[in-house]
Amino acid sequence: MSDDLEARIQAAVQDPQNLGEMSGADAVGTVGSENCGDMLRMWVKFKDDDGRKIIDKATFQAFGCQTAIAVASVATELIRGKTPAEALALSGEELASPLGSLPPMKIHCAQLVEGALRNALAGDEPPRAALAPTLLDQIAPAKKVKIKLQP
Amino acid sequence: MAALLEAYPGAQRALFRNYHIGGCSSCGFRPDETLADVCHRNGGLDPEDVMQDVRLAWEQDERMMITPREAKDLVESDRVELLDIRTREEYEAVRIEGARLLDQALMQEMLATRPKDSLLVIVDHQGSRSLDAAAYFAGHGFTNIKCLRGGIDAWSAEVDSTLPRYTLE
Repeated sequence: MSDDLEARIQAAVQDPQNLGEMSGADAVGTVGSENCGDMLRMWVKFKDDDGRKIIDKATFQAFGCQTAIAVASVATELIRGKTPAEALALSGEELASPLGSLPPMKIHCAQLVEGALRNALAGDEPPRAALAPTLLDQIAPAKKVKIKLQP
Repeated sequence: MAALLEAYPGAQRALFRNYHIGGCSSCGFRPDETLADVCHRNGGLDPEDVMQDVRLAWEQDERMMITPREAKDLVESDRVELLDIRTREEYEAVRIEGARLLDQALMQEMLATRPKDSLLVIVDHQGSRSLDAAAYFAGHGFTNIKCLRGGIDAWSAEVDSTLPRYTLE
């Protein structure tokens, strides 16, 4: 990853735009699972613009890769003022474009954002492949344990 | 990939440390994919290069381990942050003084704000899960991350017998 791209990602992560839950949102989309620490959720509010429904504001919460947080930060700015159809036409790479060109290994982070946006605007469920357990799955502690202290 | 993980138990850690593959569901892989498939959709990696890293995974894992006594020296010199990946119940029952429970909020804070050369030591119960957490941080660019060998159980046995040992039921 180039130093410039890394610097832009770090800047976006340290000062993310539109971070947080939005009360009164018109649409909400989620990909991933909050329980396993790998989740991105997006809230969208529309407004009327001379008879056109456009995106007034979008916010997000993310747990997972910092690149996904950076992409969500720039993407929520990018889609402001677009119609739902215009926003849905954007690919993950286009949503990430303000950061620069992501290396192939980071494109999935942008696709996470694209998935949340599609879920919010079109109700599309991102395809769920049966994945092998991930490192985050292994790290996530068991829900409830019973502890027996040794004397 | 299922066969690869069975033959090389540290393979997933190596994949994430070196290539950011297999850490979370957005970069995960399916058990029925081949290594060549996974390499192809991750920027055209050379499967032979990847296999070389997988074979070296054990050595990489070993370099991350730190004994309880070594960890105690670091704690006393105030040069390290202890991150506890156990459940909240375990953490509240028994913990090393100064260790922080690694929840999602802290994880995000660490990834976003900590210098990548910060010295971090991962603590689990008996040392079986800490390498996965260490690999997750390493895959996000952290260069100085260690695992407490034997977990808090070994710390209790070797460093601080006032901490009760425990079992999980």
